[in-house]
Amino acid sequence: MSAPVPSADDDRSPAIQRSSRGSLDEETFNALFHACAADVHGYAISLLGDRSAAEDVTALAFERLYRSRSRLDHGRGTSRAWLFAIARNAALDELRRRRRQPQSELREDLAGDHGSTEPLEQVERRATVRDALAALPMREREVVLLKFHGQLTNSELARALGIGESNAGTRLHRALTRLREECMRLDRREVA
Amino acid sequence: MRIISFPGHGETDPEDVSSAELEAALDGDGIGPVAESWRELRTDVRALAPPMDPEFERRLAERIAERSAARRPRTVSPVVSPEAPPSRGSRRRDRWAGWLHRPARLGAAAAVAFALVAAVAIVAGTHQRGSSSVERPASSQSLGTSQGAVATAGSRNGAEAKAPPVAAGPAEPVTAEPPGVESPAPGRVQQLAATITLAASPSEVQATADRVARLTVGDGGFVQNSHVQVQTAGTSEANLTLRLPSAKLGAALNSLGQLAPVRAESQSLQDITNSYDAARQRLADADAERQALLRALSVASTQGQIDSLREQLSQARNAIAQAHSALQAVSQRASTAEVEVNIAGDGAGASEGLTLHRAVHDAGRVLVVTLSVLLIAAAILVPLALLFIALAGVRSAWRRHRRERALDMP
Repeated sequence: MSAPVPSADDDRSPAIQRSSRGSLDEETFNALFHACAADVHGYAISLLGDRSAAEDVTALAFERLYRSRSRLDHGRGTSRAWLFAIARNAALDELRRRRRQPQSELREDLAGDHGSTEPLEQVERRATVRDALAALPMREREVVLLKFHGQLTNSELARALGIGESNAGTRLHRALTRLREECMRLDRREVA
Repeated sequence: MRIISFPGHGETDPEDVSSAELEAALDGDGIGPVAESWRELRTDVRALAPPMDPEFERRLAERIAERSAARRPRTVSPVVSPEAPPSRGSRRRDRWAGWLHRPARLGAAAAVAFALVAAVAIVAGTHQRGSSSVERPASSQSLGTSQGAVATAGSRNGAEAKAPPVAAGPAEPVTAEPPGVESPAPGRVQQLAATITLAASPSEVQATADRVARLTVGDGGFVQNSHVQVQTAGTSEANLTLRLPSAKLGAALNSLGQLAPVRAESQSLQDITNSYDAARQRLADADAERQALLRALSVASTQGQIDSLREQLSQARNAIAQAHSALQAVSQRASTAEVEVNIAGDGAGASEGLTLHRAVHDAGRVLVVTLSVLLIAAAILVPLALLFIALAGVRSAWRRHRRERALDMP
């Protein structure tokens, strides 16, 4: 049974929405934690391929967010975007520190909890998506993960990546195109 | 056999995957199979990530709750219960400890402190040079050496011992040391001089000049010359040249400084030991010649010899008198100091005697000094801040570059 995936609307709780206009107070921070911790962890574990490292990155991201909450600039994005920018930096630092090649393929035991109750078609489709995602270059895979786990707009994505919005859109478009092509290739291979 | 329905499947136009379409689909605004396929892809990608370990989630939530309760970014002290609110003192200590542990802030504070100290030092130095300059003479030892008059006390005393006392003739005997010479270097004969500029209001110039003259006479000196110019409109001034006993020069300058605010003061010293020794030697030589003539006269037998010797004795007495006068002149130079007193009645010193005006004047000076300190501090801090910003930018760019490189690793 796969974990329930909250929608973007679920993550935008009133407290977090208020944080987009005001300071990141304790209540907002707690709400942000409960709403985004799983997403941050999902992004980190998908990028790093290691549960322990993902937990370190998740804890570090919220630690840094707490420390920098007074410097949160809502004019430059929402607190969620700020959090994922911090998480991305922590994840890249972890990648660089460990000098470890990121998992080229998501390990089977980290590739979600596929319960027996799921339809076979869905299980197979996710396996294809997993393989296609693993086949992407690291830079493109990271954009897809940041977009889908962080549920960021292109503007927020650009902030997190430290690039321009059009550049972020182009990079995202390229990554999704590559992902689609990879899925199609895998699909054709399976059919053959 | 599965069909993965991606948007734009089968089409080659990249516009099919437009950002607006994707955004609308992920926001839930988009409808139709294309939007649905985007949402499905997002769900699939998110579902690939395994859920958080419940134990980790619980521990992380506890840490967040502790932080929120303590309202402190740093770790909670182990001796303090995380549930108990920290005392005001401990919060203050933690705040300072946290503040001090941040090297950037500490460095900035140190830079500000350094800039302020440097600015104060610079302003203080400038203020001292500009407002009231006081110059003192160099030491007599170095002065004597620089002039090449390296006549030691012993050798001069030796010459003095060989010089016979002037027992006869019109000249008075000359003492070994000129009277009243304040000689900082033993055995040296030095001439002192000073210049002092006093600030007074135009109406006070005449009175101040009179007080200077009275003070000079009281100290045993005299006014060599004076010039007082008082104008009803404009600048008044007075210039006096005083002769004071050298021994009383310091006290006299102090007394002059009490009459009016001192705007500038300088003292000079000249070693005249060589001139003094030369004058003494000429007197001794003339006296020796006179003694020799007297001895020759006592044994002269002819009237012609006697007349010639008397003529020579007369010339010798004149030479002794001249040598004595020269020695006295040198002694006079050593025993009296020349002091030039300038009294400037330009109005600048007028306010210094009035309390209110003086307070306003002092307040203005304080403001000027404060602004000077701030200006100099800014001159130091602004380049430092620009350098710091540039370094911070380079550091940030370098860190970003290194992070991005992690994505390019094979």
